[in-house]
Amino acid sequence: MIQLGNSTRGALSRERDVREAYAAHSGELYGFAVRSLGDAGLAEEAVQETFVRAWRAGDRFDPKIGSLRTWLFAILRNVVIDLGRARSVRPRVAEGGVEPSVEPLDEALTAWQVEEAMRRIGEDHRRVIVETYYRGRPYAEVAAELGVPEGTVKSRVYYGLRALRVVLEEMGYED
Amino acid sequence: MKTRNDCREWRELLGAYALGHLEGDERAGLEAHLDGCANCREELASLQPVALMLPHADPARFGPAPQPPPELGQRVAATIAAERERSETRQRRRLFGGFALGGATVAAVAAVLLLFVFGGGDGSSGPEQQVRFADLPPGITIDATLQPHSYGTEIHMYVHGVPSGTLCRVWLRGAGGASYPAGTFRYRWGDDSDAVLSSALDLSRTRAVVVDTGKRTFVAPVDGPVADLNIHNEEEPT
Ligand SMILES: [Zn+2]
Repeated sequence: MIQLGNSTRGALSRERDVREAYAAHSGELYGFAVRSLGDAGLAEEAVQETFVRAWRAGDRFDPKIGSLRTWLFAILRNVVIDLGRARSVRPRVAEGGVEPSVEPLDEALTAWQVEEAMRRIGEDHRRVIVETYYRGRPYAEVAAELGVPEGTVKSRVYYGLRALRVVLEEMGYED
Repeated sequence: MKTRNDCREWRELLGAYALGHLEGDERAGLEAHLDGCANCREELASLQPVALMLPHADPARFGPAPQPPPELGQRVAATIAAERERSETRQRRRLFGGFALGGATVAAVAAVLLLFVFGGGDGSSGPEQQVRFADLPPGITIDATLQPHSYGTEIHMYVHGVPSGTLCRVWLRGAGGASYPAGTFRYRWGDDSDAVLSSALDLSRTRAVVVDTGKRTFVAPVDGPVADLNIHNEEEPT
């Protein structure tokens, strides 16, 4: 395989690059690992294994194909599947050799993406979405509590959803 | 009030509408506007996927994200440094092993890599033997180093590639076929240390090392014939 710009290939094959990648992405990877594994110790193990595997396969990372972040998340996803398999494989195999489903993991990824996006939007926007959507409270009640007109609560819900959309796109979400 | 062309005011209702919160006249008015306004329909379409994702999230988790402990980064760096050193050592070992076995039969080389290191200075009473498990599934590495002692045999086990947390049981098998337990250890990802075990069986009488990972049993001959190697797979999920 011949490629131009070889200097950008194998961007994770040096230990210094791994440290930089760790500084940039370990927080998010850890957040998703905690969300999907439900255990801080396992999450640490998963993040560590992710960077070790990334380093081993560093030559294969090509920034022209996708972002480093996306690549690391793909590795982490496999690590989480392996960890989940290690924990639960025996009863599942006894049920007839069925692979542990990855659906709960994709569900966890969606959940984590929305939760992370919620953390990144403004407090005013998050607040009205939590009150009206997650708590199911009437707009009038929320408006009174916040001391703003009801129309403002509605417009904040709108700008809040737009902000979520922008953040989700930054995080790599596509329709 | 809103006119048909006042997109901005209609638009600010699209969030509540996408969440199913709009009722009555407001809802009817917006729907009438949407019928005639492609821009607002497009805007609504961009919000709907977001609205559909909301039920997956747990609002109790909107607080500060959990952070990895500060020492995790150092652990990652140390693990990678150790693995690099280990792989460099293994490459040297392979070169040396191939050289030492230059005159041996191909079959013996394929089955087991034996390397005699004379004069171990740490209280051992003879040459140690390095045993390499052959024919392992892709990604799995098992190595054992055996050192003779007056009480029996000290075993340094190195396992890599099985699921983290796997409990490994180790035996030494004697010339007569009897197995002598050498103990257990747990493999953890990222841990590159050798597990140190011991068995009462003399190294001179040891014919095979047996490692049971729960799902599989791996046997490597210590100095026996190739036929001694057997690997059986049970219910391996891949
Ligand atoms: Zn419009």
